[in-house]
Amino acid sequence: MTTTSPAAKTTVEERKPPLTLGRIVTYGAAATIGVWILFPIWFLFSLAFTTPDEVRSFPKSVFPFTPFSTETMEFFLTASGVGAGLVNSLIVALVAVVLSTAIAAPAGYAIARYLFPGRNIFRLTVLAVRAFPVVVLSIPLAVLFIRANLFDSIISVAIMHTVLTLPTTLLVIASVFASVPYELEEAGQVFGASPWQSFRHIVLPLVLPGIAASAVLTFVLSWNEVFAASVLTIENRTLPALILASLGNSSPAFQFAGGFFLMIPSIIFMFFIRKYLFNLWGQVSK
Amino acid sequence: MSTSNPSRRRSLTPYFLIAPTLVFLAAFFAWPMVQGLILAVHDDEALLPLVAVASVEGDRTGELSQGAAVEILGQQGNTIEGELTSDLLTEQWFRITGVGTDGAAVDGWAPETRIRVRDEASDGTPLAGTVRPRLGEGAEPFTDVLAEPNERAEVTGALDDRAEVEITQVTVLEVWFNVRGQSNDGTTIEGWAPSRFISAFESGEEGRVDRGSDGEFTLRFVERMFNDRFFSPALRTTLLLMAIILPLQFLLAIGMALIVHSRLKGGSGWLYVFSLPMGMSDLAVGILFFAIFTSNGLLNSILDLFGLIDEPQVFLSADTRGWIIGAIVLAELWRATSIVMVIIVSGLQAIPDETLEAAELFGATYWKRVRYIMLPLLKPSLLVALILRTILAFQVFAVVIALSGGEIVTVLANETFRQYFSLRNNNVASAYAVFILLLSLASSVFYLRIVRTQDELASR
Repeated sequence: MTTTSPAAKTTVEERKPPLTLGRIVTYGAAATIGVWILFPIWFLFSLAFTTPDEVRSFPKSVFPFTPFSTETMEFFLTASGVGAGLVNSLIVALVAVVLSTAIAAPAGYAIARYLFPGRNIFRLTVLAVRAFPVVVLSIPLAVLFIRANLFDSIISVAIMHTVLTLPTTLLVIASVFASVPYELEEAGQVFGASPWQSFRHIVLPLVLPGIAASAVLTFVLSWNEVFAASVLTIENRTLPALILASLGNSSPAFQFAGGFFLMIPSIIFMFFIRKYLFNLWGQVSK
Repeated sequence: MSTSNPSRRRSLTPYFLIAPTLVFLAAFFAWPMVQGLILAVHDDEALLPLVAVASVEGDRTGELSQGAAVEILGQQGNTIEGELTSDLLTEQWFRITGVGTDGAAVDGWAPETRIRVRDEASDGTPLAGTVRPRLGEGAEPFTDVLAEPNERAEVTGALDDRAEVEITQVTVLEVWFNVRGQSNDGTTIEGWAPSRFISAFESGEEGRVDRGSDGEFTLRFVERMFNDRFFSPALRTTLLLMAIILPLQFLLAIGMALIVHSRLKGGSGWLYVFSLPMGMSDLAVGILFFAIFTSNGLLNSILDLFGLIDEPQVFLSADTRGWIIGAIVLAELWRATSIVMVIIVSGLQAIPDETLEAAELFGATYWKRVRYIMLPLLKPSLLVALILRTILAFQVFAVVIALSGGEIVTVLANETFRQYFSLRNNNVASAYAVFILLLSLASSVFYLRIVRTQDELASR
């Protein structure tokens, strides 16, 4: 293997287009867009990790972090309600992940592996639910939860987030299952494995990373969601709902640190699921 | 989505597998949505039915609207329907035993107004008492005892004034009012209704229908939404933002997608950076752009660095709506372009390399390949992205709140939230929600129509 890999690498390199003027322009455009995306994040990052005095100061250094300090972030994390909000957010996101994965995985498998009457209608329904406005669903669900005495409970937020993420989870899991050739499963059965065994030992290991990616995505969606969480709770707020409610009467230091804190999961998780982004959206247009 | 050799056997298995999803969506999506639609056009407390006798089984004599003025002609107790809540107007009835006017034992019910309690248990339960005398000349000397705690019940006996009785049972009844008022069609009607629906004025002879127990379909909430002073600014701002953001966004997204697709070194690194904002909380992005545009923020710092300003400018205030709109546009471009890009890249990946190579062999330049091959083949992806982004644009919320506080610049989603949360008006909030839903549906249908018309024109 070690002898063949350099050769393989050269062929890949050769296939790359030569560095022409067009390529340079492309790199320039890519770098510009990269700066446009990264620089604001960097700026908020540096505000979150400096002293509250620096947050209030003007003019700020354009390349900040002067002085570097965890004071602002500590101020945010120890502010009243933030700890409870964080716990609520984590519980809601985890419940939503577990519920939507548990409910969607079998349906995803069904869509990928079976042709059955109603399959297309089912897929279209799921697609329609995914495109459905959060704002529209939140109000009726809140009214329903009030009637059921589930109002202002984080369970209601978790259920709402499950509704929001279920369609995405389902379609991702379906596309992940579809990417595992059915022949592999059949081969297992030819060699004497039961359908369950071939699923358990052949398919499952292959799809687990994809399912994990969809779980991560569900987590991030739930972590970010603010409208439904604000509508469904008053006291038991999730972190984004808490920050939104305190926008009018909190210090910039609190807001900037809070804003950056909300970004952290997506910055980390997007790295792990970037390969699956096309599974999320690729099949929609077909 | 391709199904690689899916099982073609007819079996029930797939239905078992999709059943949990269907049940969950029915319970927490379809059912609340139907309720929400009804809430927008149905007033649950619009009408108060009056009945001929003070009983739920009484015949209806007509309905009064919420807010109607009424004369209160009389009152009596009745069994409480539903839960006993502390704010109900109630009266007590006692089950009493004693010796009747004819010397025989009497057992029956009498209202608390007729019995003076003389002996109570330690917990306050009345045990015994005497019959109150009626005062005045020619007053009825006897007190009737009834078979049931109800003034219309059969009389089982009578007691003398001041007769001693034992109280064996106590029941709490809700007061019903006998009222007279004008119904919607202008006729004066008279009948009984539970007191919980009527707020009596101090005199006790007049009152007002507080709320109804019967619903009616009405366009009142829809009208209230249209007449709300924030409605048309919210609608206009939402549409304006959409009109500015979507074209810029699609140009930028197509550019980003072509860059990602052009196999730069460090391929998935670029993809990671370009798609980074996609996973970000809209609230966090709003705060991020607030940090840029606030008076001691990044923009003023940069202007100051180049000596362009003497003192920090105020961008986010009631006098600078244009700057706020600009900041929202930039924030939305920053945040939501990635998702369009990812959809377009998926579409690009579906274009066979051979097609593009063939075009290149025949001398098509890069721009010609983009213009005449890629873009036409990307049409389905662009359509999906356009529908999705339009629906999302009707929901823009946290970014606007973070940058404007939700007062200076307002959008439809913010008004929905305000009606629900600050004004506690679920019905008008639902009307807003339904309005957003209709706009989303209408724009999706509109896009699909345009594409179909174009296809038809092209195929001629």
